[in-house]
Amino acid sequence: MTESEGGRMQFEEDDHRAAFVFSNLRAEDAAAKHSSRPAKRRKVARPDAPKPQAVAEAEASFPPLFDGAESPDAVRLRKELFETSWPIVEDGIQHVLREANRTTLDEVTSFLQRAAEAKTGKIAAGFIITGPNIASQDLLFEQLAETLSAATQASFVRLRAADAPNLKAALKKIIRDATTGRSEDGDGMDAEGRKYLDYDLEGLLAFLAQHQLPLRVIVSFQDSEAFESGLLSDLIALFHSWRDRIQFDVLFGIATSVELFEARLLKSTARQLYGAQFDVVQADSVLESVIKSAVAGTRATLRIGPSLLRSLVERQQGQAAGVQAFISSLKYAYMCHFYANPLSVLLAGDDRLQPTLLQPEHIEAVRTLDSFQSHVEAAVEARQLNHAQSLIEDDQYLATQILRQAQKRQAYLLHLLRSLHLVQCTGLSTASFVELYISALSGGIDIEQASGTVPLEDAIKRLNPGDFLSLVGRLLSAVRTGSSELGLRGWEAEAEELVGALGELRDEVEGLVERSKSNGATLKSKYSAQSRILRTTVVAQKVQLSRDTATLTEEDKAYTKAVDTLLELASQALHCDPIESLFLHEAWVFDSKAPYRDVFVPAPGATFDRALSRPQDYLACACCSKANGGLASTLPTTAILYHLYTEAGALINVADLWSAYYALVGDESDVGLDERSALVCFYRGLAELRMMGFVKQSRKKADHVAKLKWL
Amino acid sequence: MVRRKLAIEAPEPRVSRKRELPNDPYEVPDEADTPKRRRRRLEPKSTVHSGINGEIDWDNDDVGERSAVVQESPTKRRGRPPKSAATATPNGQTATPSTRGQRIFAETPLKPRPDGIDTPSRRTIADRSARKKSARALIDRVIGGAVSDDEVEEDIAREIYESSANEEEDAEEDEQGDQDEGQHPTTPSKSPGRKRRAHPRKRSPTPPRELPPHEQYFYQNKPGLAKTSNNTLSTLDLLTHDEYFSVLRQLQDPHAADVDFLQSLHAQSFPQWAFELSQGFSTCLYGYGSKRRLLHNFATYLSSQHPTHRIVIINGYVRTLTARDILSTLATALPSSPASSNSTNSGGGGAPHPSSTVGALLTHLSSTPITLTILINSIDGPPLRKPALQSLLSHLAAHPQIRLACTADTPDFPLLWDAGQRAAFNFLFHDCTTFAAFAPCELEVVDEVHELLGRRARRAGGKEGVVFVLRSLPENARALFRLLAGEVLVAMDEQGGAAAAAGGEEVGVEYRMVYNRAVEEFICSSEMAFRTLLKE
Repeated sequence: MTESEGGRMQFEEDDHRAAFVFSNLRAEDAAAKHSSRPAKRRKVARPDAPKPQAVAEAEASFPPLFDGAESPDAVRLRKELFETSWPIVEDGIQHVLREANRTTLDEVTSFLQRAAEAKTGKIAAGFIITGPNIASQDLLFEQLAETLSAATQASFVRLRAADAPNLKAALKKIIRDATTGRSEDGDGMDAEGRKYLDYDLEGLLAFLAQHQLPLRVIVSFQDSEAFESGLLSDLIALFHSWRDRIQFDVLFGIATSVELFEARLLKSTARQLYGAQFDVVQADSVLESVIKSAVAGTRATLRIGPSLLRSLVERQQGQAAGVQAFISSLKYAYMCHFYANPLSVLLAGDDRLQPTLLQPEHIEAVRTLDSFQSHVEAAVEARQLNHAQSLIEDDQYLATQILRQAQKRQAYLLHLLRSLHLVQCTGLSTASFVELYISALSGGIDIEQASGTVPLEDAIKRLNPGDFLSLVGRLLSAVRTGSSELGLRGWEAEAEELVGALGELRDEVEGLVERSKSNGATLKSKYSAQSRILRTTVVAQKVQLSRDTATLTEEDKAYTKAVDTLLELASQALHCDPIESLFLHEAWVFDSKAPYRDVFVPAPGATFDRALSRPQDYLACACCSKANGGLASTLPTTAILYHLYTEAGALINVADLWSAYYALVGDESDVGLDERSALVCFYRGLAELRMMGFVKQSRKKADHVAKLKWL
Repeated sequence: MVRRKLAIEAPEPRVSRKRELPNDPYEVPDEADTPKRRRRRLEPKSTVHSGINGEIDWDNDDVGERSAVVQESPTKRRGRPPKSAATATPNGQTATPSTRGQRIFAETPLKPRPDGIDTPSRRTIADRSARKKSARALIDRVIGGAVSDDEVEEDIAREIYESSANEEEDAEEDEQGDQDEGQHPTTPSKSPGRKRRAHPRKRSPTPPRELPPHEQYFYQNKPGLAKTSNNTLSTLDLLTHDEYFSVLRQLQDPHAADVDFLQSLHAQSFPQWAFELSQGFSTCLYGYGSKRRLLHNFATYLSSQHPTHRIVIINGYVRTLTARDILSTLATALPSSPASSNSTNSGGGGAPHPSSTVGALLTHLSSTPITLTILINSIDGPPLRKPALQSLLSHLAAHPQIRLACTADTPDFPLLWDAGQRAAFNFLFHDCTTFAAFAPCELEVVDEVHELLGRRARRAGGKEGVVFVLRSLPENARALFRLLAGEVLVAMDEQGGAAAAAGGEEVGVEYRMVYNRAVEEFICSSEMAFRTLLKE
């Protein structure tokens, strides 16, 4: 209302236009005039030259933090860190996604090639079960298009239901895509001086023949469920009738099942298809490999904290949000961290993180961290008082400590990943990698049975010799090869002790097995033998239960000892602290759920409800704060009406609404609007309620409106 | 708090009296129980009191009421059918001072109350048996004096009992409010109102508070509940457009400063939004209030940051917006390309199909290094709600060189997109509640309200209206209109600043001159025809 009339008049014309190109000139003009008096609009022809911008970089830099006290170098470093770290992760993800579809692609390609040779007289149809998420299909079909057009030289057309509402539109789209995709000189329609209609397949034939392309077109229906069944039947029948001239192959992306899809087609149509079914890798396993590569792997610079990661994974499973959504969330976490956390500069390597870069503000910020506090407390408890005191008082000392943390971080992460990898390789844990990873981050790794996060103790104890040997073998090979998914290289050289001990164990147990075999007994340990044998004896009509302390042979005892040794080795190798116990973990762990939730899972209903029922939360004005969520005459009109609206029933009498409103703001109240002004406000509020979809016209009674929203 | 004490006292004599009734098979005469029960009643009562509207009535009437209770209830008690005694008591008590009681006076007191059936509140019917049982369990326990070895069971029994007692109190309270109103026996004018109160639970005057939204929906949509008054706005002079705008101009918004401050707060996030846009996300600003200014300022900010970027603003609230508008504007934003965009269009012969134009546009865009930013006001505006347009926009947004930011005005905007479009848009949502008033271009207030009231159809004005009227006219009349409009414009120009300064003095054109011009241009042949045309 009171926004300056001058400023508004400037935009008036544009505001009524449906779409227009925003010109910087006018805006600057307006801004200039905004301060001065609202003069007539000058008709300046063109700006002489765009202002020589100091920030003529490709993208604007991050705003400096610490209330603007952050040095430009630090700001630039944060930006560079983001720009270098995310693409690595993204490349990894893209690679994973492409690999995930590889087998499907190969199968489809070979099927189409076989079908072409088979000469069945039918249309080859590939049914690709993509699962319910249509958002992740795009990549698959893009890859299909690449691979198939490379392998078969055929034209590939992607159809979506939205592109093809009817037969004519579908044909147009097919022909257009098949013709423009291949050559640049577009207008091949009238080669013999004859002009084809743009939905005439004759034209396509002529075009293909003229360009000496293979007379073969692959049409893919990405979301086949969304197509009208009549349209599908028509298209298939048409393709079939054209078979002698152009060879059509079809691919269907199916979210449900082939049976359901077939039920929608005419029987006669279905008989013209010669199909095969292909399954795409399930979203769960794709997600797991993405997490392995992008979140857990060594390539990831920023760690996603356990609680955020858990909520992301739950959202994937609970809402079928699609891998794309997960990747976006991941990217947003990176963006948030480097954009808003000044300590993210600590992630830079040694070569770029100069001690001079650390400002007093950085040091001060470090001192406020939780992990700093617990680190100092731990130092005090360990009687390292000097260390603790210098940490608190000596900036220089703290700076060197901070710089030293980078190595500790690397070492920790490496150890964590190796432990996890080994746990996975034992095959004894039933939890998936993602669960393991999350629990390891939040609670560390501990294989103790009673209290540990990964209770493997019992499982190791109960191993029989065969499993024992294979387990040791798996561990050895895991140490040797590492994991490519996680980006782990083999670490045989660094873990000589472990490898040596494991090797000895293996030799020993092998020997034991040999010996017991020659003795004719099976090798067992006291853990596996004991509990099983329970002897029942009947003595004088009474049943006596007695535990059989089965006599263990020498070999058995030796084997028991071997199992114990393995357990000890494992508990040493598979041990890790929770991520939060590390000093300065805030600098490289992002675990805040709030920005993610606000930005990806909006709650517009709650937002509107809050704005209208408690406007002081936003306006922070003194007059409405008194109302404290109640009704007050000073609230904005729409908020008052909204209060009355929530109190009213499903049908609202506008006359009563008006009198209630007028009683509140009218002459007698402290706002004291006269009737016409109050009516103007009332009109505006009511119109806004309607625009937001809260009320609609009701024909039940005169001057009544129906309620539409229960927020 | 005298009032509260009285309320507590009232049930007491009745509770003990009820115990004396030997007819009720469920009632166990036991004095030991009553104090406990009373105590329990006390708590809910006091809480209920504070929240209920009928409180004031209580204050006015409680003295009279109490005496009525004390005096009347014994006589009525006798006549009560024994079966309903247990459940009807709380209501019976409150009913006593009502007019109904007076009616009974005339009859023999021994007669069973005719309306005794409707006293149990509907809500409590379902709980009745459970409540009785739990009451009995509690009483048994007290009688037996046995140490209960099943504490849990007792707890459950107590809980059931108390919760239903609570509700009954609640119901009782409601009715009391009702009946206190009707209790002024001195005013005979209230009598029609009294009759209606025969079924007090039918329309609860105080809706239950603090219900979750879905419960509220079902509560408010209960059949028969929608009772509104018959008042209409007939006495009120509805606003006209002129009056609306003239009054509006004089109105001052007391919150203007706060709204501006809120805008400036949002404006601080501009760098963040720009960063998000640059990373391939689209931003969607939602929340109450007009976000047109905010988006405009954002456009200004963007263009100051990246002078080379092209920015296109699309106003979703303009009702005539079509896909073609969007595409043609986008095409003009790009440096002209005779090769791709135009030739394919003309090659098609007829009207270019939007989807083909999009393809051409995007391929053209890919060939240039330009970054195009699309800002959309009201992406949930009526013209943009069509699925085709949304899929067009999502298609555009998915292009790496196009950045898209939009605003949404309704709470339902997430329903616009399916999973595929949502992925293509790659939205980040920001709460941008501005509280700014919607400008006339976004919201035609008077029309909206009148349409809502079913008073008048949309104003025929605006461009569409004029076009519609002109199209229906014969060609000569149209030509005459053009001529007339031209003449008026010329006359305005001639009088120029003088007229404007005089405050919009009517500009006139000479009749004779217009006629002559019309004849010159062969619009009409005779003065007679000229007049007819002019009338049109």
